[in-house]
Amino acid sequence: MYTQLKNHIVFLLFVAIVPFTVTAQTETSQSIVKVSGEVLTPFNITLASLKEYKQTTVIRKDKDGKDHTYLGVEVSELLEKAGATLNKDLRGENLTKYMLAEASDGYQVIFALAELDGGFADRKIILTTNVDGHPLPANEGPFRIIVSDEKLPARCIRQLTSLAVKFAN
Amino acid sequence: MFTIIRKLSWKRTHLICVLFASVVILSGWSAFHDPVVNGLFKFVYPANFGNRINEAADNLTTNQGVYLGRLLFYEKKLSANNQISCGSCHQQERAFTDGLALSKGVDDVLTTRNSMSLVNLLWTRKFFWDGRAASLEDQADFPLTNPHEMGQSLAVSADKIKNDSQYPSLFKMVYGDERITGDRIKKAISQFERTLISAGSLYDQYLADRYKPTEQQLRGIILFKNCEHCHGGVKNYKEVFHNNGLDLEYKDGGIQVITGLAADAGRFKVPTLRNIAVTGPYMHDGRFKTLGEVIDHYSDHIANSSALSSFIQGRSEINSDKMLRLTKIEKEDLMSFLNMLTDTAFLHTAAFSDPNLLSIKSK
Repeated sequence: MYTQLKNHIVFLLFVAIVPFTVTAQTETSQSIVKVSGEVLTPFNITLASLKEYKQTTVIRKDKDGKDHTYLGVEVSELLEKAGATLNKDLRGENLTKYMLAEASDGYQVIFALAELDGGFADRKIILTTNVDGHPLPANEGPFRIIVSDEKLPARCIRQLTSLAVKFAN
Repeated sequence: MFTIIRKLSWKRTHLICVLFASVVILSGWSAFHDPVVNGLFKFVYPANFGNRINEAADNLTTNQGVYLGRLLFYEKKLSANNQISCGSCHQQERAFTDGLALSKGVDDVLTTRNSMSLVNLLWTRKFFWDGRAASLEDQADFPLTNPHEMGQSLAVSADKIKNDSQYPSLFKMVYGDERITGDRIKKAISQFERTLISAGSLYDQYLADRYKPTEQQLRGIILFKNCEHCHGGVKNYKEVFHNNGLDLEYKDGGIQVITGLAADAGRFKVPTLRNIAVTGPYMHDGRFKTLGEVIDHYSDHIANSSALSSFIQGRSEINSDKMLRLTKIEKEDLMSFLNMLTDTAFLHTAAFSDPNLLSIKSK
């Protein structure tokens, strides 16, 4: 009798606690990359949504001087989804546009749109979440830009939070 | 004959001296009381500071706006108890800080974070320790209205200073009519704050090849290269935000309070090092009284939390073999460099001082 009652209490407590646990999990903030500026449809990139795009691999050296394999999505694909003026639209005054990438620590770098467009350059500039088969470590990720064939890694911006397309004045 | 000439020239010398003194006194007195020459304010700064300035398109800096803004910056009627002005927590001789770990507002409650230095704000794009405001105009809302700072709504502030005879005509001079609003108060204060430019430290002179550092300062300059990722640049400020290893658990989550992200825990603005020798206590909570304690922290006491900046990772107390462990002499060398960043002229420039004090002095 006593054991049955105890089991009932435990069950009721469990039922009472579970919703709060779920709520706590859903309230945990999620890292995103905001795509904004001179685009038709601004949107937020999440870890899950990045899997919907064609995956590209880039191998390059990091600060440690060693080659690493990064898996991600070409930045141009993401900007195309937002409606940035790439491909046939990248002409005339649109050639004065650039993308400002910003990290959570405030670090900023820019890329001319023409640098990102496959019609202008062969090299790959990807948004990665994965290095050597593992998610990026916390001090690099969850999102990072990787630029292939660039000598310094200064534009391989870590902890990326925003991609904003702008006109140069 | 010679005596007469000598007497005449003595009298003339006296006359010239009196005239000269009168001119100096009158020009000194009139420096603040002369009518302002209306027009755009001309910012003067070294070319290497760059022109990436942050000036609101609807609040271009004018001479008359700066004049009004300076009065309002030091105006105590903008606080609920008429005892506190912006200048109370931002004192010029301390590079616009207040020498306190945390500041006391109109309700005698302490602020939660250390008063920040106001310097070279023309180039600043993110304000407060957590970078939450994008303009001086936006940030002004908080200290003016926060119940633990000046504690008064902008509407009440506007209403109070309407009755001060000097203000209606000044607002007309700046904005075209006598209407006094909270928005106009914030804009004028912002204009004044944008003029707080510091570019005259020994370090500036060294960069311009006008000062030869001592041996110790040179050693400090070389050591400082370890700190440049976050603190470098000609303005001694890079507008970056990092967890600098103060704690393993946080009383104040910093940017995490805004974003809710674990990676932002204990992440705060890396403040300017300009005039750093006169802006203690240090850190967002003013925990370090002296610069020596700050250097000791980076040398010997980094706390290795999961959100610790990647630029100082591997230098924690837990991995003690990887700490910087500066020697006593190295710490003194670094201190010697940091003292080069004090801009004495900035701390005493009359144009930044409390105009009310100037008026009292000239009387």
